[in-house]
This record gives sequence, structure tokens and C-alpha cells, in this order.
Amino acid sequence: MIFELVRLQFLKSVRSTSFAKSILVTLLLGFLALLLLTYVFMAGLFLGRILEEVAEGQDPLVTLNAGILFFFLAEFMYRYFLQQLPVIELESLLHLPIGKKKIINMLLIRSFISPLSVMAILLFTPFAFQNIMPELGTAAMIGWLGTVVMISSSLHWFMLWFKQRFEDSLLGVVMVFAVVVLAGGSTYLGWFNLGEVVQPFFELASQSFIPLILTFIICVVAYFMAYSYYLKNAYLEDLVKEEQAKFLNQNFGFLSRFGLAGEMANLEWKLIIRHKKSRTFLMLSVFFLLYGLIFYTNPDYQSEDGGFRKIFIFVGVFITGIFMMNYGQLFLSWNSANFDFFLNKKNGLQALIRGKYLILIGVSCIFFLLSTPYVYFGWVFLFVHGATWLFNIGITIHLMIYFALWKPKPMDLNKGAMFNYEGVGAAQFLMVIPLLGAPYAVFLPLSYFFNDYIGLAGLAILGSIGLMAFTKLSAINIRRVHLKRYEISSSFRQEL
Amino acid sequence: MIQVIDLKKQYKEAVVLDVNQLDIPTSECFGLVGNNGAGKTTLFRIMLDLVRATSGHVLIEGEDVSKSENWKRKTGAYLDEHMLLAYLTPDEYFQTLGKLYNLSEQDLEMHLAKFKELFNDEICGKKKYIRDLSKGNMKKVGIAAALVGNPEVVFLDEPFENLDPSSQIRLKKLILHEKDDSKVTFLISSHDLNHVTEICDRIVLLEKGKIINDLRDKSAMMAELDAYFTG
Repeated sequence: MIFELVRLQFLKSVRSTSFAKSILVTLLLGFLALLLLTYVFMAGLFLGRILEEVAEGQDPLVTLNAGILFFFLAEFMYRYFLQQLPVIELESLLHLPIGKKKIINMLLIRSFISPLSVMAILLFTPFAFQNIMPELGTAAMIGWLGTVVMISSSLHWFMLWFKQRFEDSLLGVVMVFAVVVLAGGSTYLGWFNLGEVVQPFFELASQSFIPLILTFIICVVAYFMAYSYYLKNAYLEDLVKEEQAKFLNQNFGFLSRFGLAGEMANLEWKLIIRHKKSRTFLMLSVFFLLYGLIFYTNPDYQSEDGGFRKIFIFVGVFITGIFMMNYGQLFLSWNSANFDFFLNKKNGLQALIRGKYLILIGVSCIFFLLSTPYVYFGWVFLFVHGATWLFNIGITIHLMIYFALWKPKPMDLNKGAMFNYEGVGAAQFLMVIPLLGAPYAVFLPLSYFFNDYIGLAGLAILGSIGLMAFTKLSAINIRRVHLKRYEISSSFRQEL
Repeated sequence: MIQVIDLKKQYKEAVVLDVNQLDIPTSECFGLVGNNGAGKTTLFRIMLDLVRATSGHVLIEGEDVSKSENWKRKTGAYLDEHMLLAYLTPDEYFQTLGKLYNLSEQDLEMHLAKFKELFNDEICGKKKYIRDLSKGNMKKVGIAAALVGNPEVVFLDEPFENLDPSSQIRLKKLILHEKDDSKVTFLISSHDLNHVTEICDRIVLLEKGKIINDLRDKSAMMAELDAYFTG
């Protein structure tokens, strides 16, 4: 029976539309995943030496024990964002004569088989073998590594419960933030160092088996917590919740000023807010606002000669345009479930595309405004953001949509956004090149021959010209959609 | 009103639709029947310019549907859920349509009042997205949406499917009423022979993409269809 279920799972993943239709994408992603895991493993191999460098004269194990909590914090974060819930398959299994307990157990265990679960093992196993075993012996190595792995897997089960319990609710996000801020922020601000507080526990792990036994018990408890929660809620109504119309769901009055396009922009906003995938895109974009903090505060990136680092253009493009690029690259795929609606209305396509333009530009404006506090680090950042913002909404947006219209693919908006490559094709990978290349193609020559600020002015001026020529430029993309409407609509109806 | 001329649809070698000549006059209630895969939905989709014809033309009031868009104003359609904006509540959806068709609030209210009986208090004023409605209720929303804006032609694909018996009867009344009062031309495909023979003035039988029978005599319709489908 279990074998049959496993076989069904395998068939499902092989035959899913996103897999079969884009072998290329699958291969590329597989390669990337492998590369990433290799990096993690390499980092693990050199972890001992890195730690010696970081804290000279100290035992690497002591340093690691004091810092390992922050690894688990990071794991907590990425598990929250990346880990997928196994309930999606429940619907097709529940009605079969298989015990619920068996189904839940199978789904839970299957969820454990994922690259996320081997991260801790890959990172810390080499260290345990290189540093702990020779000095403290095999038992210490097993005790320590076992404790680490148990904590990592406890996080897995805990997260399954946590995400299902608080999924998509603001409360869940707030709680994750609170944990991170409390643990990371307190250390940063020097209130107390949580890492050092828990250090003795890991210290003990290399001396006795008590921590291992303890964390094993925690792991089992976490498993049963997830198990019993899923079992209790193994009804369609509980796990796949219907949402009620919420706040933010309303129309934006001012958008109606733009006529039919404004109306469509309102629709698009509702689409974004009411689907899981698009909502995650929006939330992530807000995170990316903080991207500048990495670069702008870093002394390595401070200017030497009155100009600024070339990479800031990239950062500016990202901060002011991340939502535009992230959301816009799947341009029509967002409407794959209702494309016929627009086809069937007079000037429906034109209105749809204008509306999408409007929402992309609108959100980009909001992000620009939100990014203004960076002026705290220097006026130059305001100029960089302003210029890249103008360039984004004047030029890049048309380029991006042009590329996005190359074989749009249907996608299900109610699935999560993380590692969900539905709707993604070769175009989405290739378009990064012109999107990031275009601003540099303008900026670099000007900055080379004159100076960086002339380069910025060039971006701003070209962007403004693009804005003035908006109707003309957008007409190109509207025409393209119009010409390809049959192909697009039949691919959205999955008739290929 | 509608003319189909030498229409052909081919996927590689397979010809799925081959209609030489079909004229549908104004305010006719036109029924389309045929077994699964006969090409009913494909024909509707081509007539609505959702699918490209391999060759031939469809004219609505003399306009080639693939060449202009003016006919869309006069045409309403509900073929499947792809024509709904399922992430809206029914109220929001109707309001959106009202704006698209430049209807005033009162116009829209008057329009929806016609569907009061059919909706049975389960559609309007509910805080439920269309995607969470039952299939029957979704169909009702789609049919009401197809009739927004006083269209002259309305395409309905399997309108009776998924509806409960009383809704089916109410829908029949509604279609007949619209046809008599507003001279709306209906194109309806259905597997329910009782219903189509009752409301349609003319029924075309499709088999493997070809029109094999064009029935206009209301009294003989049922018997002929019965004979065909029982084989």
C-alpha cells in the first residue's frame, strides 16, 4: 500500500504540467539546487578553519557553540518561507479506503525528504568529524552532531504545525519577526547574547548524551504535535480554508480616475491580494526594501573619489523595481484562469494590459517613496533611487513585458510562491539579462566619459522620455498580445 | 445575424470541425447537440474568436469576428469558468461588468432583478468569492454575466448542466422571456434533449465536426434526436 502511494507521488511529480513542459527549467533548477548544496557542504568542510580565522586563539568548537543558535534562527526563517505543506495532496487521497493515520504519516514523512532537511547535516558533519572526533572522541562527536540534527528536524516538524496553524495570517509573520528580532536584535544591540546563553547546552552535548536524548524527545514530541494536528484537521474544510473578503480588498478610489485601465488595475490589485502566490510576491518585495542596508552601510562599498560604486545602480533597480520585475515577469500568467473573460470584451485586452501597467507603475512609485529614508545614509542614494526608478517605469517595464509575452504559461495562483516554478519558462530566466543590462548600458558609458552623476541623469532623462512616450511604447506590447491571443488563450486552457 | 462560411478547424491531420454554411437569423433560439467530441464547444469558441479557425469565416452582423471587435459589445457568452473572474465576489463581478458596459447602478440592479428567482438568494450580497461557489451557482453567475449589457447574441455552453431541476425550469423561462421580449438570439449547446427541444426553434446536430442534421420542425425534433442518439 505504501509502495503504491509512493508510486502515485512519483507519477504525479513527473506528469505535472510544470515538469513535463519545461525539462529545461527543471534541469536548470536541479543543477542550481545541487550547486547550492555543494556550497553548503564545502562551507562545512572549511567551517573549522573559518571559525579559527574569525576568533583567533579560541577553540573553534567554543566559537561554534556560541553561534550555532543563529544558524537555527536562520533555519527557522528559511523553513518558514520555503517549507511546503503536504496537505495539497490530501484531497485526492481522503476518499480512498486508506486509513487517515497512514495517509498523514506518509505525507509527513514525505515532507521530510527535502534539501532543507540535509542542510544542517551537510554543514556540520565535516566539522564534527574534523574537529570534535579527534579531540574529544567518537561519543562526543555523535552526541554533538546528533543534538544538532535533532534540533534541525524538530524545527521541521514544528514548522509543519506552525505554518498550517498560522498560515498566511499576519500573526504568523509577526511571530517569526518577533523571534528573529528578539534573538538577533538583542545580540546586535548588546542587551544579551542569546547565543552565549545556550552555549553550555551545546557544550554539554559533546560531553554527555543528555542533550541528545532531550532533543530526540523534543523531536518526537514535535512530530506528534504536527501529526495530531493534521489528523484532527484532516477534513477539506479545515486544511483548505475558504477566505472571507478582508481589508485591503477594497477598490482604490483614485485608480478609477484612469478610466477603464484604472478599473482593471483595481481588479489586478484584488487578484494580488486574494491569491496566495501573488500575496507572497508582494510581501517578499517589501523585504527587499531592506536590501540597501547590506550595501549602503557596508564600509567596503563607500566611495573613494566623490562618485559611488557602480553596484548601487543594481541595488537601486532592485529596490524600486523588485515587485515590478518579480510580478511582471509572469505578466499574463496571472490571468491564465480568466483570460477568456478579457478576450470576450470589446477592447478587453487593451484594458487588461493598461491596467497591469498602471498597477506595476503604481507599486513601483510606492516602493520609491518607501525607499526615501535611505537618504539618511547620504543624498546620493535618493538620486540613485530616483534615476533607477524613472528608468524602471519608463524603459525597463516595456522591455520586461515584451519578454514576458514570449510563450506565457498557465499557473495556479493558489499554490505558494516559494520554489514554485509554474508559469516560469526560459523567457523568465533570459529576461534578467536585458533588465539588469539596460540600465548599465546607459549608465556605464556616461559615467566613464563624464561622471557618475551624468550617468544618473542619463538614466533619469531616458526614463522620463520613456514615460512621455508611454502610449506609444505600451501599444507595441498591446499589439503583441493581440496578435498572439489565440496561442495564449489556448495555452491557458491547456489545450496544447 | 450570424453566418458561418466554409469554417474548418484542424489540429495537424485531425479535422475537428468542418462547417460549410450556417446562417442563424436574429432572435432565433439555436440549439447545438452532439456527442462528446463532436465539436460543439470548438464551434462556439471559434464563433467568439477565442480559437483561430484554420480556414473560413464567422460573421456577426456582417463583421468578421477575427478582424474587428465591435461585435463584442453586442455579444454575451458563458462557455466555462475561464470567462469568470473567480477571485471576485459575485457582486464585485457584476459591478465590474457594469463599468465595462457603462451601465448605471440602476441599470445593473434592474438587470440583476431579472435573475432574482434563478439566484434563489444564494448569489448576491454574499461575502463569498466566485471560486468558492458551487458549480451550479457559478453557472448562474456566468449566465447572468453573459446577459449584462443587453446583448443581441448570447452563447451558452451546457447552460443546464449542474443546475437543480427548479433552476433549470427557471432558466428556461428566462431564456424564452429574453428571446420574446428583447429579440435576443440564443445559441445553446446541450446534452439535455428535453430542454433544448422545448426552447429551441431549430436544432443542429453535429457529428465529428460536421453538421449532419438541421432540424426546424419542432414537432418532429424530439423523435429524430431520439432516433439518432439511441443509435
